[in-house]
Amino acid sequence: MWGQAVSGARGHDVLRDEPGARAAMLGNVAIVRGALEAGVQYFACYPGTPSSEVGDTFAAIAEGCGISFEYSVNEKIALELAFGASLSGARSMCSMKHLGLNYAGDPASTIPYVGVEGGMVIVSAGDPSAITSPNEQDQRHFSNFLFYPIFDPATVPDALAMTRFAFRLSEETRLPVILRPTTRVCHTSSVVELGQLATTKNKIVFNKDPARYTPMPANARRMRKEITQRYQKAAELLASSPFFGTYGSGSRGIVASGVGYAYARQIVEDLGLEDTVSLMQIGAYPIPEPLLGRFLKSVDSVLIVEELTPFVEERVMISAFRLGRNIPITGKHTGHFPMEFEYGPDMVDDAIRSYLDMPARPKIEVSQPALPIRPPVLCPGCPHRSSFYLVRKAFGKKTVYTNDIGCYTLGYGPPLECCDTVLSMGSSISEAAAIAQTTGKRTVAFLGDSTFFHSGLPALANLVVNSADVTVVVLNNHVTAMTGFQPSVAAAADGSDESGLSILRAVKGLGVKNVHEVDPTDEDSTLAVLRAAKKGSGVNVVICSAPCSVYDKRLSGSEKRAPLEVDQEFCNQCSLCVLVLGCPAIEVTDNKYEIVADLCDGCKLCAYVCNQDAIKEGGE
Amino acid sequence: MTASKKPGWRIVFAGTGGQGVVTAARILTEFFSARGNQVVSGQLHGMAQRGGSVQASVMIDCGISPVIPNGAADCVVGFEPVETVRALPFMSQSTTVFMNTTPVVPYVLSQQAVRGKGSGQYPSEDSLQQHVLSVTPKLLAFDATELARSAGMVKTLNVVMVGCLFGSGILPATPEEFAETVMKTVPSKLAEANERAFQTGVDFGRKLHKPEESS
Repeated sequence: MWGQAVSGARGHDVLRDEPGARAAMLGNVAIVRGALEAGVQYFACYPGTPSSEVGDTFAAIAEGCGISFEYSVNEKIALELAFGASLSGARSMCSMKHLGLNYAGDPASTIPYVGVEGGMVIVSAGDPSAITSPNEQDQRHFSNFLFYPIFDPATVPDALAMTRFAFRLSEETRLPVILRPTTRVCHTSSVVELGQLATTKNKIVFNKDPARYTPMPANARRMRKEITQRYQKAAELLASSPFFGTYGSGSRGIVASGVGYAYARQIVEDLGLEDTVSLMQIGAYPIPEPLLGRFLKSVDSVLIVEELTPFVEERVMISAFRLGRNIPITGKHTGHFPMEFEYGPDMVDDAIRSYLDMPARPKIEVSQPALPIRPPVLCPGCPHRSSFYLVRKAFGKKTVYTNDIGCYTLGYGPPLECCDTVLSMGSSISEAAAIAQTTGKRTVAFLGDSTFFHSGLPALANLVVNSADVTVVVLNNHVTAMTGFQPSVAAAADGSDESGLSILRAVKGLGVKNVHEVDPTDEDSTLAVLRAAKKGSGVNVVICSAPCSVYDKRLSGSEKRAPLEVDQEFCNQCSLCVLVLGCPAIEVTDNKYEIVADLCDGCKLCAYVCNQDAIKEGGE
Repeated sequence: MTASKKPGWRIVFAGTGGQGVVTAARILTEFFSARGNQVVSGQLHGMAQRGGSVQASVMIDCGISPVIPNGAADCVVGFEPVETVRALPFMSQSTTVFMNTTPVVPYVLSQQAVRGKGSGQYPSEDSLQQHVLSVTPKLLAFDATELARSAGMVKTLNVVMVGCLFGSGILPATPEEFAETVMKTVPSKLAEANERAFQTGVDFGRKLHKPEESS
C-alpha cells in the first residue's frame, strides 16, 4: 500500500522539463525519456517482458505530447509502422522483446537496404538466462548479420544517453538502429540526469521516389553497396560517441559490454585496481576498429566480460590478429566465463581475480536449505482454470494439447496438464494440425485472444485449408495479461466494447462452420459444447470468453466476489478440488481443506467440482 | 575482507507477488534519489505476479552495479518467512534481518499433501529462524502482517516493513525525514492508514536497539 499517487510521479519525471535535474527511473522509462529528448514522433509496440514498460510509459504520455502511439497486433506490424512513419520523415520507435524481433525479422532485414528518413530506433530487449522467455538469444548478431548499428547499455543512464544518440546516428547514416537493453537494465531503477526535451520536430512529408524505396532486385543490388558505406559511417560516428570509455590506467586489459561492464567497473573500483587494470566499455556495434586497436596496443593481455555469445571476444581476436598483437585473450573460450546465461557480480569478481592471479575471494559459506518452491500459477478466479478443467473433462488424458505463449502456458504440469508442447506465438494451431495428421491422434490447440490476432489468424486460415481434425480453443480474457494488462484488440464477449475485433466473426469469416463462443464460468453449457466438438471432425473452434479476474477487479473496479468456504461437516477430504484445479486459494493442512479468504476470488469453480456439496458461499 | 565493509547501504526486500515488495523498493529509491544520494534498485518480475517469489534490492551510494553480491546485504527485509530464508545467500554475520512470521503458503504444498509427493508441510517458524541465526545473530522476527492489520489494513504490510527498516537506524535518513517526504505524495484517503502502519513499523524497528522490549 501507499497508493496510486506515488506511481503517478514516474510519469511526471519522464516529461520533466528541467535539464540537469536528477530523477530515479526504471531503465525502460529512461529509454522513453531518451526518445523524448531526441524528438520522437511516432511509437508502436507489441508488449513482451522485459520490454513492456517502454510501451506502457508511452501509452501514459503520448497523447499529451502529440506523439502517435499504439499497441500493435504484433511486432512485425509495429516495426513496419515505425518504418512507414520514418519514410514520412518522423522520428519513430518501436519496442518488443528479443523474440519479437525474430517475428519482425522479414521487414527488419530489408530496412537497411531501403534506408530510413526520420531516425528509426528498434528497442529489442534481451533476456539472458531466459528469465521470462523460452530462449536467451543474443540479438547483437543482428549488427553484422543485417547491418544494424546496435547499442548495448550497461546502466540506466546509458540507456537514456544511447537512445538519444541512436536517433542522431540513424538519421546521419539512414540506417535503422537497434537498442538492446537486457533485463538487468530494463528492470533496474537508478538516478539519471535529465537532458533537454526536444523543442523541434522533424517535418512530416512523404516524397515520392519509388526507385529509392523499392528494393526490386536491380535496386537492391545498388542499395547493397550503399549499405557497406553507411555501416562504415556508423562505425566512424560511434568512434566519437561516449560509449567506448576507458577506466583505469593499468597494463592488464578488460573489455566489457552490457551489464558485464557495470559489474566489472564496480569490482575494479571496490578492489582499487585502477593502476593495474584498463577497463574498456563496448557500448555499441560495429565496434570502431581504431578505438579497439588503440586499446589493444596499450595493454599486454585482455579479459572479455560479456553475456551470451562470445561476440566481442571474437571481434577482439580478429582485431588483435590484424594488428599483429599476440597477447593473451581470455574470456569464454578459455573457461573464465560460461557460454550461457547471465553473469552476476560474484562470477565477474572471481574471473577478474583469477585473470589477475589475485588470491580468490573469501568464500562466505552459506548453504541454502531446501525450501518449498513457488512456481507461477494461474490466479484464483482465472477463467482459464475453468476452461482447462472442462477441456480435460471433455477430451481426456490421451488427447494431445498444444499450447501457446501467454498466461495459459501455466496449464503446464499437474493438475491441469493442458500443455504438451509450446513453441512460439501462434504456433499451437499448426503444431496441432501436423500432430493430428501424422499420428491420427485427437489434438486440442490453446491460444489467447491477443495471440490469436498476433499470429493465430494465418495459422487458422492454413488449418481451414488443410482441414486437419483439430479443436482450437481460444482463451479470450480481453486483455494481454501476462505482460501487464495491455489492452487486447479483441472485443469483450458481451459486446460492451464496440471498438474491439470479434474473434467469432473472424473465425466464421474464414469459413469455419463449427464455431461456438461460450462463457467458461457457465460450466455445464461449456462442457456440452466441448463434448460436441470432440465428436465432430475437421476444424472445430471454441471461444472461451470471460474477463481476466485480476484485470477485472484491479482496473475495471468491479466488486470483489464473496469468498467461498469449506463446510467441514460435509467435506470428506476426498481431495478432488485440489487434485483437479490447483487453485492457490485452497489450502490443505493436516488433511483439513480450507479456502483462504484473502486469496479466494469467489469464482465458484471449486463448488462446481465438489461432489459433496461442501463448498459454499461465505455466510451461507 | 567481507563485502559488507564496502561503502554504502545494501538492502534486500524479499516476499511474494502481491505483498508490495517492488513498491517498497521503488518508494525507497525515489526518496533517496530526491535526497541527493546515488541509488540503484534492481527487481526481477515478469511471472512474479502469479504468486512467485519476489526479490528487490536497493543500493544507496554503492556504485553502478545493479546486483548485490553474495553476503553483501546490510539488511534483508523479509515480508514472508520462507522468502526471508531464500535471501540467505545475501546475508553475512553483519546483516540485519527482519522477518515477518506470517507465512504465505505455497500452493504446491497442498498439491504435495494430496498427491503424497514431498513433505506437504510449510517449514516450522523455528527452523526458518534457525537458518537465519546460523548466519547472523541480528534477527528480528515478528508478526508484521498482524501489525499491519491492527494498523488498519493488511495491505500496508510493506509500509510496516519499511517503517521497521527506518526505525532500526540502519539507513542514512531518519523516519521523520522519510515520512514527511513520502506521505505528501500519498492520496489523502489512504494517508492515515499509511501513516499508522509506518509508525507501527518504526516503533518495532527501534526495538532492535532495545532487545529487552522485544521479548
